[in-house]
Amino acid sequence: MMGLASYLIISLILFIVGIVVMISRKNIVAILLGIELILNAAALNFVAYSRFVTNNLDGHVFSLFIIVIAAAEAAVGLAIVIRFFQIKETIHIDEATQLRN
Amino acid sequence: MEYTVGNVAPIFLAPVLAFVINAFLGRKLPRQGDWLATLSIFVSFIFSARIFGDFVFGKFSTDYFVHKTFTWFDLSHGATVWKVDMGIYIDNMAAIMLLMVSGVAFLIHLFSTWYMDHDEKHGRFFVFLPLFTSAMLGLVLSDNLLSMFMFWEVMGFCSYSLIGIYVKKEKAGDASLKAFMTTRVGDVFLLLGMVAIWMVVGSVSYVDIYAAIAEGKFAGQAVLGISFATFTALCIFLGAMGKSAQFPLHVWLPDAMMGPTPGSALIHAATMVTAGVWITLRMYPLMVLGDITWFIAVIGAITAFGAATIAMVQTDIKAVLAYSTLSQLGYMMIGVGVGSYNAGFMHIITHAVFKACLFLSAGSIIHSVHEQEMPKLGGLRKYMPYTHFAMMCCTLAIAGIPFFSGFVSKDRILGDALFYGFMAGQNPLLAIVPILGFAGAGLTAFYMFRMMFLTFYGENKQHHDDHGHGHGHSDGAHGHDIHHEHLDARQNVPLLILAIFTLGFWFAGTLTGQGFGKVFGAKTEWFKILVEAPKVEKFINSPRQDFGSTDTTSAAKNLPVAVYDHHSDSQTGYAGPNPDTHKIHTAHTIGAILSIIIAFSGVFIAFLMYIKKSIKPLASAFPGITTTLQNKYYFDNFYIDVVIKKGLLGLNRFLAWVDMGLYDRYVVDGMAVVNRVLFKAAKWFDNVVIDAIGVDGTGVAVNLFNLVLRIVQSGKIQFYFIMLVMVLASYIWTVNI
Amino acid sequence: MFALILFLMSALLTVGGAIAVAVTKNIMHSCIFLLASLIGMAGLYATLGADFVAVTQIMVYVGGIVILMLFAVMLTGGKDFVSRAQNLLGLAPAMGNKWTYSIGLLVGAVILATNVGLIMNITTVHANTDFATAFPSTVNRIGHLLVKEHVLAFELSSVLLLGALVGAAIIARPKKQQ
Repeated sequence: MMGLASYLIISLILFIVGIVVMISRKNIVAILLGIELILNAAALNFVAYSRFVTNNLDGHVFSLFIIVIAAAEAAVGLAIVIRFFQIKETIHIDEATQLRN
Repeated sequence: MEYTVGNVAPIFLAPVLAFVINAFLGRKLPRQGDWLATLSIFVSFIFSARIFGDFVFGKFSTDYFVHKTFTWFDLSHGATVWKVDMGIYIDNMAAIMLLMVSGVAFLIHLFSTWYMDHDEKHGRFFVFLPLFTSAMLGLVLSDNLLSMFMFWEVMGFCSYSLIGIYVKKEKAGDASLKAFMTTRVGDVFLLLGMVAIWMVVGSVSYVDIYAAIAEGKFAGQAVLGISFATFTALCIFLGAMGKSAQFPLHVWLPDAMMGPTPGSALIHAATMVTAGVWITLRMYPLMVLGDITWFIAVIGAITAFGAATIAMVQTDIKAVLAYSTLSQLGYMMIGVGVGSYNAGFMHIITHAVFKACLFLSAGSIIHSVHEQEMPKLGGLRKYMPYTHFAMMCCTLAIAGIPFFSGFVSKDRILGDALFYGFMAGQNPLLAIVPILGFAGAGLTAFYMFRMMFLTFYGENKQHHDDHGHGHGHSDGAHGHDIHHEHLDARQNVPLLILAIFTLGFWFAGTLTGQGFGKVFGAKTEWFKILVEAPKVEKFINSPRQDFGSTDTTSAAKNLPVAVYDHHSDSQTGYAGPNPDTHKIHTAHTIGAILSIIIAFSGVFIAFLMYIKKSIKPLASAFPGITTTLQNKYYFDNFYIDVVIKKGLLGLNRFLAWVDMGLYDRYVVDGMAVVNRVLFKAAKWFDNVVIDAIGVDGTGVAVNLFNLVLRIVQSGKIQFYFIMLVMVLASYIWTVNI
Repeated sequence: MFALILFLMSALLTVGGAIAVAVTKNIMHSCIFLLASLIGMAGLYATLGADFVAVTQIMVYVGGIVILMLFAVMLTGGKDFVSRAQNLLGLAPAMGNKWTYSIGLLVGAVILATNVGLIMNITTVHANTDFATAFPSTVNRIGHLLVKEHVLAFELSSVLLLGALVGAAIIARPKKQQ
């Protein structure tokens, strides 16, 4: 029940849900939530492999770095969201097409 | 005596504590925390005095040293050892230096509480002053180049802040930037030297470096065709040149007087500039091994003489002192270069005392009279007797008049330089070192007395202005009455204390420094006995001591109490009978007589020019030379006009030419030619094919292309994201199959 | 037994929270469900013996990132706070439309299809994995790893965090009145 496969499947579900959130939602904050889910799926994979396959702690360290990077990404991403909201007064993703024209 | 964290760390941690408290709470404290800074330096002074007592009055042995380390961080895993130790290394030199730095800095702090009173930058000044002092104390305590470098950089930052403390003055800002950038040039080389040493030794601890020198680890390896020892020694000396303002990198120091005068006193006397000489002394065995001592001596001689000539024509009282500092630093470097190790170090100490006193005296004058241009001063002797007394003592010391400290140290340096230049069988061109040295000594006596005569003697021009003779500017600063100076614990007592220590016998043990009139009896010549160049052999396998462990090595060893031995009085610092002893003795005797004559003639010429006025002053006698000197040999102009304008801007122009000339002409214009050809081809194509096929066909084609592009380049992030995921999925799918 | 219960509850919380993030109408509720999902993740880490990672997950994610998200939601609320359309069961998705949701589910299905085979492969390779009930603490060893073997990444991540901090402060600074 608690083998590697179950963790990988949970991680896969998280990943897919994250991608669905990123593609379907039109709210930028919701897209950031999707990114967090994807990052978590990756981190879970690392820890699961380090527990069941490699038997050392490198996977733990890697997931710690993922958490750190997620924190940095969230900070910058949300700063961009707030700035975007100041300019456009909305956080609808389809409004963010300035670079196109 | 025990050396634990508890009684060594306060030396530099107490001022750091004062810095932190003043930085954050300074405005809320009474008097903006200046008392706290002063008190913290006093604490360092107490702890330093304890160490000094142990080394000089307790052990009194040449070989005694305390080296304690702790592991800062340890990254070694497996077979690779990669760890960095920090620690303290105190020998006789460090013990003396600690006492000097903390003592002089304490008096400077005390004076600053008076000088900076009611100044708008009072609080900020007392934030950086203790940090500056603590960095120097830490640098002296450091047992390795890495922590030395950290403190070195802290000092660079503090000097930057202190020089540019009046942020609203543009010149102050420029001067602080100049100081920071110029010393940075040297620091790059110092860092390079450290890395090179790390490569060879695997450690940057002084003790390990000495051991590596003794074991010959520096031999044989070469970089760029020069030997490794020469390369590292040169790098470290270049770093020292930046910090100690030696000849090509000297331009920052004179500008450093933009800050408040006590700050200049600290920069010029006790801290900053002596750090460069200090590191040269610490790395002296490497300098000898790398055979660059002649280079050090020549650079020192050029600085000593050149700065002295510039100082002759300066009119700003602080500028004269700034150039005299440069000149004296040159003497220290000569001392190191000619192998006069302990005299070079002694000159650090004696110079620190009299230069601090001179700057504080100048500060006292400036604060009382609000004028620092010497032609507008004069006759202050009657109004400021205490300042006059202190400044006169220091001037006698720096000019090298017998019985004063400057005579003792400078005379020994010059004696050794004389031996080095003429009798040691060196390259005859090196005779330039003693020649420039002696000439500089004469000029020193001249310009210092010129400053004294212009400031304290003659008639009081301030007074005249007050009564409205009207030279056009009888307003502002000149509307001041000069009050008679009273004995004030903060204004002149520090000066008088420093003035006491300008007497030679404190350092030489004898009244003249040349053997007669012994004052201290058995411990006569204590300075000469205790300070000598490190003997690298004794550091091989020297055991490491952790902090907190009791002294088992150096204290338990029954070190012999050193006795002064005239016959082993060698200039190399190594004990044992020296065949040149007699020659050296002769050189010293000649040097002493020569320097006394030169000093007195300098004073006499100054007397004739500025008191008797029987000789025309310099400016009217040699106008051409004077202009050159007033422009500081056009060195600033050289840096700005040649290095920056010609060099950097030239490079800029070259790049612009590459951009405009080459790129534009050939690439862009070439593209235009190609375009034109293509355009003609397209026109033909258009006329023949499109028109033939039909305009409607074109329209359809464009629309089609547009459609594809519009889908791909939608500008919608989520669409891109879908693409990304699909590519990823197809990749995984392909790999899986 | 306890481990199994913990695993099941955590897995349920994680997956359920994640799906709820995808389908709720209200972005605020989405954030709260993300919180639940992340706590579930911490539970999963705990069942894997990764105590330090689990605690870090709760502290950084739950305590930091989600709170940051909530702040961002509240600062940018306005008319996008709740979607104008119905929720998923009314077949008109929240904060999107039925087209976006169909595309999203399609892409998700593609990924599922490509990866399930992969996972099945892996489980046959590492099929015989026992599970322990007690683990030694990893904190000490992770500390050593961080400052020895991974010290470069450690330092770089500190630089990254500093950059992110400065960058965020600069980006979010209010516009100058011109």
